[in-house]
Amino acid sequence: MTADRKIVAFCCRECAYAAADASANARTPLPPTVRLVLMPCTGRVSPLHLLSALAEGADGVMVAGCLLGQCHYREGNFMAVDRVAFVQRLLKSVGVEPERCQMFTMSAGEPPKFVAAVREMDRVIVGLPPLPRSEAGESREVAPVADATLAAVRGAA
Amino acid sequence: MPLTHRGREILSRVPGGTLQSTVGVGCEIVRHEELCVGCGKCASNCPSGASGRGDFFDVNQLLEAPADSRRGALGGALRRLMQHAPDGPIEVPERVTVYRTIIYDDEKCLGCGTCARGCPAEAIEARPPQADAAPTGLASEGATAPEGGCA
Repeated sequence: MTADRKIVAFCCRECAYAAADASANARTPLPPTVRLVLMPCTGRVSPLHLLSALAEGADGVMVAGCLLGQCHYREGNFMAVDRVAFVQRLLKSVGVEPERCQMFTMSAGEPPKFVAAVREMDRVIVGLPPLPRSEAGESREVAPVADATLAAVRGAA
Repeated sequence: MPLTHRGREILSRVPGGTLQSTVGVGCEIVRHEELCVGCGKCASNCPSGASGRGDFFDVNQLLEAPADSRRGALGGALRRLMQHAPDGPIEVPERVTVYRTIIYDDEKCLGCGTCARGCPAEAIEARPPQADAAPTGLASEGATAPEGGCA
């Protein structure tokens, strides 16, 4: 299996990451393309995480969170749903396939659902042409801390 | 902003005292969209409803934002991915709060400068009215010139 495509999965600690853990314990093979990123809650995922993962080399990003209504922090996954929708619209407006960013929900007791989600994401990415990106220029910087931002904005004003 | 009762009374005692406009202090509001962080403070502070938070987002605001700001970082990532210029404003889902474009209605604006004073990103400038456009009938020291209201 070629693993030259990369999928970054932002996983909620309370459910999807636990499901991933359980699936690994059960020795269920995951596609080798996926990279898991542990998040405290999918509500922590910002559009910047998703877009910079794509810009820095990922072919697809997925957000895996709790079932709607079962968020540990009550509504974190609702925020994630809206942010994923926002990123999809951003991507679409600049001519990138919106399917490269998707949201999945599952509970901690559903390892097969997590594996199915990763395979589904992998299947989608295999069907897409490689993602062309321009070389990193001045746009490589990661977001600095808030104080520096404010100072810079003030300086520019 | 309308004059207070006392203000109107003083104005009536100034010989030939008429304000150019009785509803505004007449600052010129200059908005720097590229510095806007989308917090919506201007919208919630605006006394006349000239500023409001939109349901859409102009993608160009990301691309034009300074590179070391949060919006600029997102714009930098987007610039590396983009295949063509943005199609136009996109609709924003309800729970996305900061990536919104502020709607500004020139017609409703009173020029009071409240938005500029409250803007944390200093993206709004309130320029005092031009000297030649200021009311001429007011005595020099008695006139509470509109500049004071705009600082």
